[in-house]
Amino acid sequence: MSRFLVERDDETRVRLSEGMELTKGQSVLAVLGLAVLFAVPDITRLTSLSFQAVHRGILFGLAAVGLNLLLRHTELVSFGHAAFFGVGAYGAAVLASHFDVSSGLLLLFGGVLASTVTAVLIGYFVAGYLDIYFALLTLAFNQVLYAFVLQSGYFNYSDGLSVRPDGLNPPTLFGLQWSSAGYDLILYYFTVVVLVVSLLAMWKLVNSPFGRALDAIGQDRTRARFVGIPVEKYVWIAFAISGVYGGLAGGLFALLQLHVSPDPTLYAFVSGEILFMAILGGFGTLVGPVVGGVVLVYLLIQAPFYVEYYNALTGLVLIAVVLFLPEGILGSIPKIGTGLARRRRDPGLLREDLTTLGSSLRRGANRAVTTVRIIVFGVN
Amino acid sequence: MLEHVLNGFYYGSILFMIASGMTIIFGVLGILNLAHGELYALGAFCAFSIVGFLAGQVAAPTGPATAIVFGLVVLAGSLAAAAVLLPVGGALEATFIRPIYDRDEVYQLLLTYGLLLVLTDVMKFVWGPSPVDVGVFSAVNEIPTTELVGFGYPSYNVLVILIGVAVFAWLAWFFDRTKTGRIVRATAINREMSTAIGVSTDRMFTLVFAIGAFFAGFGGAMVSIGPSSASLGMGLSWLVLSFVVIVIGGLGSLKGAFVGALLVGVSSRVVTPYYPQLELAVPFLLMVLVLLVRPEGLYGTWGEIQ
Repeated sequence: MSRFLVERDDETRVRLSEGMELTKGQSVLAVLGLAVLFAVPDITRLTSLSFQAVHRGILFGLAAVGLNLLLRHTELVSFGHAAFFGVGAYGAAVLASHFDVSSGLLLLFGGVLASTVTAVLIGYFVAGYLDIYFALLTLAFNQVLYAFVLQSGYFNYSDGLSVRPDGLNPPTLFGLQWSSAGYDLILYYFTVVVLVVSLLAMWKLVNSPFGRALDAIGQDRTRARFVGIPVEKYVWIAFAISGVYGGLAGGLFALLQLHVSPDPTLYAFVSGEILFMAILGGFGTLVGPVVGGVVLVYLLIQAPFYVEYYNALTGLVLIAVVLFLPEGILGSIPKIGTGLARRRRDPGLLREDLTTLGSSLRRGANRAVTTVRIIVFGVN
Repeated sequence: MLEHVLNGFYYGSILFMIASGMTIIFGVLGILNLAHGELYALGAFCAFSIVGFLAGQVAAPTGPATAIVFGLVVLAGSLAAAAVLLPVGGALEATFIRPIYDRDEVYQLLLTYGLLLVLTDVMKFVWGPSPVDVGVFSAVNEIPTTELVGFGYPSYNVLVILIGVAVFAWLAWFFDRTKTGRIVRATAINREMSTAIGVSTDRMFTLVFAIGAFFAGFGGAMVSIGPSSASLGMGLSWLVLSFVVIVIGGLGSLKGAFVGALLVGVSSRVVTPYYPQLELAVPFLLMVLVLLVRPEGLYGTWGEIQ
């Protein structure tokens, strides 16, 4: 066997690094995914899809990947992740508009630094809390930040800051001043590289002893403490790391939009959206949040151009995911795949499906009748 | 100063009406209902149609007596508008919320967020995208309430404060003294046991959700007959604020929601004139403080209505 191919569990696996091995199917999917990511500018040029929306979706998806570290492994629901996204974006915007920093990479670095500091600070306060209290406390910190930015002249109130260092041109990328179209393209490819590196880093992280410890914390805190895991410290570190991802996404968002205002970056509902992206794509998977990010951003930004009642469309998609695809879009694919394969082998199962469908419809109708009765005749 | 405090009470009363619905839904059903703000907006829109129609039927007030008649008509219209929310809430609970009680809380959040979006567009479909205004605010103010004690303050605000207190009193009476209220509390504390002694939890949950929706809608109707208009986005900031209120008071505690609402209302109205830049932050700073000192809120009791 060569350095890159290993034999494990009677299967040839592609080995990327120590402990990071993909099966044949997985590698094909990974290569395919990468190809699609790199081809997005061409795909959007040839079809009517929006390039900007896909780019934004990937950025929000990146923030959702960070959130997923908490959600999937420590089972903590953070409702305040827009704080890091927003601080990352504002970090870059402040450097650009108040300090005339023109290098895009420096701006990004500033944003990430700011959001990391914020995440470490907030994490110190929230690491000991659980369940709904954790969610609400993160939400509260998020809203304090939002209110602070919205009312502060330094951040130019609700109008926000421009990310054009000289007031005219976008920041430079890799030392060069690009034309508008070239800037978008280079920034997109840079985003893809950042995304792939971040995903690989996350993969390494969750498969490291630290990631296992987080899993243990998610399952049972008391037990984790007895095994000798410093629970609060680990949650704090995980919180800070997820803040880095949020800041990275926010900084890139500032570079993409070239303008940062409080509502699309810091408001509580942005936090909700980041959380919902992770669930929508499948929070049991590594790449799911990115898929969820692209889908939800697309629904939120692009749907208004196609249908008048775009909110209802988005809402119905979310409700359908909760009721019919609890594992999310990406998380459900293996299940649907095996289900289809079984039915191809054994067509008799289809009849069973029909009876299940019929009985569930009947149950639904019965429930509706009961409800109507309750509403008409009152309760008890 | 007195005026600021009264404004705070007014603000707190409306907050309480919305937050009370949210806190009893959370206390009994365990669902943090993100669509609650839209139920509030729906109440405001219904009030626009119903109160607008009723106010058109009676003449505008000319003296104190006719003003009181007019005020009663408006109040009845607001109640009728909120009553629309009873079947709406019941139907929402039975169709969408009931299948997800056993699921992770993130799914409950996602589903109620989906409902929020759908409800927004339902209202957009019925009432159109632009804000609507009933415009009976000045007519309600014709009722002389504060002239008797010798100072001028809008009667509408006084009316809302009184109604806020009445709602609190009614809810406290309902959960403390009536049989149905006690059954609801028993269901909240132990679902299996109440099922075993013959309580239909399904019906209880539908009832509680409908009551919660009713008070959200009533709060919306009260705002809608006031100086502000009913608009599609009106639910969002109130939703976040009522989160703050029920967290400060303690999740699932009615008394907590009342105290929390007044605390948030008064503190933000008293602080704002002196430090306008703190206007938005005050409720959240209050919430962070309370959570860090007393994580379970002022009167926190888990899953129990008190």
